[in-house]
Amino acid sequence: MAAISTTAERTTAAAPPRGRRDANTKKLARIGWGFSAPALLVIAAVTIFPIVYSVIMSVSNVQLSGNGFALNGITGGNYSVLVHAAVWRYAVIFTIVYTLITVIVELVIGTCIALVLERLTAGRGWLMALLLIPWSMITVINAELYGYIYNGTYGVYQYLTGLVGLGHPVILGTPTGAIAGMMVADIWKTTPFVAIIVLAGLVMLPGDVYEAAEMDGASGWTTFWRITLPLLRPTIALAVMFRVLQAFGLFDLPYVLTGGGPGYSTNSLAILGYFAMFKNLDFGPGAAVATSTAALVLLGCLASLRVFRVQVGKENA
Amino acid sequence: MATVSLEQVNKVYPNGFHAVHDLSLDIADGEFMVLVGPSGCGKTTALRMVAGLEDISSGTLKIGTRTVNDVTPKDRDIAMVFQNYALYPHMTVAENIGFALKLRKMPKTDIEARVKETAEILGLTEWLNRKPGQLSGGQRQRVAMGRAIVREPSVFLMDEPLSNLDAKLRVQMRAEVSRIQRRINVSTIYVTHDQIEAMTMGDRVAVMRAGLLQQCDNPQVLYDHPDNLFVAAFIGSPAMNLYEASVTEGAAAVRVGSQQIDLPASVTTAHSGLAAFAGKRIVLGLRPEHLPASGDARPGPTLTGDVDLVEALGSELMVHFTIDAKRVQAEGAHDPDAEDVAAAGEGVARVDPRAPVKAGERFTFAIDADGMQFFDPETGLAIW
Ligand SMILES: Nc1ncnc2c1ncn2[C@@H]1O[C@H](COP(=O)(O)OP(=O)(O)OP(=O)(O)O)[C@@H](O)[C@H]1O
Ligand SMILES: [Mg+2]
Repeated sequence: MAAISTTAERTTAAAPPRGRRDANTKKLARIGWGFSAPALLVIAAVTIFPIVYSVIMSVSNVQLSGNGFALNGITGGNYSVLVHAAVWRYAVIFTIVYTLITVIVELVIGTCIALVLERLTAGRGWLMALLLIPWSMITVINAELYGYIYNGTYGVYQYLTGLVGLGHPVILGTPTGAIAGMMVADIWKTTPFVAIIVLAGLVMLPGDVYEAAEMDGASGWTTFWRITLPLLRPTIALAVMFRVLQAFGLFDLPYVLTGGGPGYSTNSLAILGYFAMFKNLDFGPGAAVATSTAALVLLGCLASLRVFRVQVGKENA
Repeated sequence: MATVSLEQVNKVYPNGFHAVHDLSLDIADGEFMVLVGPSGCGKTTALRMVAGLEDISSGTLKIGTRTVNDVTPKDRDIAMVFQNYALYPHMTVAENIGFALKLRKMPKTDIEARVKETAEILGLTEWLNRKPGQLSGGQRQRVAMGRAIVREPSVFLMDEPLSNLDAKLRVQMRAEVSRIQRRINVSTIYVTHDQIEAMTMGDRVAVMRAGLLQQCDNPQVLYDHPDNLFVAAFIGSPAMNLYEASVTEGAAAVRVGSQQIDLPASVTTAHSGLAAFAGKRIVLGLRPEHLPASGDARPGPTLTGDVDLVEALGSELMVHFTIDAKRVQAEGAHDPDAEDVAAAGEGVARVDPRAPVKAGERFTFAIDADGMQFFDPETGLAIW
């Protein structure tokens, strides 16, 4: 036994000398920077500049003039407008709740679909292709499609509720109906995406671990909760991250389907920012909406990483 | 603890491949049974059928007195150590070992005590809070063992548990696994393709080839009395020298190439079946240690060959030589992992270190006649 312990220690002890390698790495890094610089400059011009500019705009007095606008000094006014506006407070809560509900529902349904697909031996390819149709559809078209389904005079939904004797409710006419309808449209479109990501994670899981669990006496249910889910954690975290990022930027679906209404009941942060900037030409508050949304997304992602306890490069720790 | 018995067990995979043919084996209570054979011969398939991870196509599998063909793995009271360990990557060593107990709803304090005890047997105490990803191969292997023994199952199954370890650690763990098995005294089926592992660890060894059981006996019997050419060639390192030969009329001698080896009376009586081969072809088998010295130093039969290479090992000389007879290869018996000792010549002898043997010269070896083996070239069966 003593002999075995020493072998184990030996494997952890030695670390390679690093000096020379570092010198080489630095040189390589310099060359690398040189080659990437042109591309980085272009990226900076088209993305970083607008981001930085809108952050600056959000803390500036923006004055409209005949041929554009001018920034006139620093102010916290734009943010104080937001904080005191009921529309903004509503949009924040709406976006967060909307994100939470859709992501959770998509995750549950998507995981179920993935589990079923993984069991299938025949026809998996076809089913996956079918499943991806909603996801491959452009959001605007998806929104138009649901606009048709929910239409108050000739909509499919109307027809169906009429058939089962529930009358003819106008789905998009009430805030609750509009929000629920929008969520359904969103879940229909993005669940396949979650399902595919989870499926990819599932097929990567080691088969012999499942056999070991079977020998250890784990039932199917226990195996799912104790083995599958924990092992899928990094995969699920990835899916959640993608979805949270997307859901926070919710724009095209309400823009086409509800126009933010009825009232401002489906005003997401992105819709609000857009209306403020480009309809009302409130550039300062609009930029503040954009900036605060970005900050919220960042927080949301950090929070979801926290929940799934995933750190880059530490999945196995 | 329990006996395991396989009666005429067959496995036909869904694609029609017949991987195990009519396998019958009885593993006694507490016995260490090794299944050995070349890659693809159906060892893993046989083991997985015992585990319940693979359906049995036909035949009967009994654990104790119970027929378990249709019993699920978890109700067979069997623990298995997988080749790649199959540890739960998200659990600590302690959780890995305790998982089965937790599933049985054992009280937490009892689990802790059992895990601690198991970890002590295996020398894993310091690593109980690590995850498998932070352990060395040998440590993971021991965690896999721990997960099996903590359950106190009635049967242990191990599928090449040492094959992922480096050579030195493998030798250590070989002894370790034997020690643990003897200590807990649980019937064990151990799969390996390494005949040295099989010989050193098994109470009995079952040699398989292409889905068929060749011979099952204790290691010494396999070595001294192989039932057929395949077992003769597979067991032993360096491998047995096998030559095409023929029996003279009257069956008093065999001809190997241009040489005639007279058979002492002890050999012809022990192998009385040779009489039926008078004037016919046979295969002659000679283990390296049955060519132990210079023929000038001893009376009796001899074999003369051209010495190609002499390896001095201190205690003996490993002499590679060539004779003018054709060497016989038993298909699949050659272990691809082992050093190809026969490559330097057509035969190997383990000679007394004082013998005057030199590379490049002719040398006459004394034959230890009682070690001679004879096989029917048509059927491959040993001639007795
Ligand atoms: N699922 C399967 N379907 C069809 N044939 C299979 C399947 N699994 C294994 N086989 C075949 O059955 C034979 C025996 O396989 P098995 O895994 O039992 O070999 P083995 O003796 O364990 O070999 P190794 O030493 O390489 O592990 C092989 O020829 C293999 O190709
Ligand atoms: Mg195998």
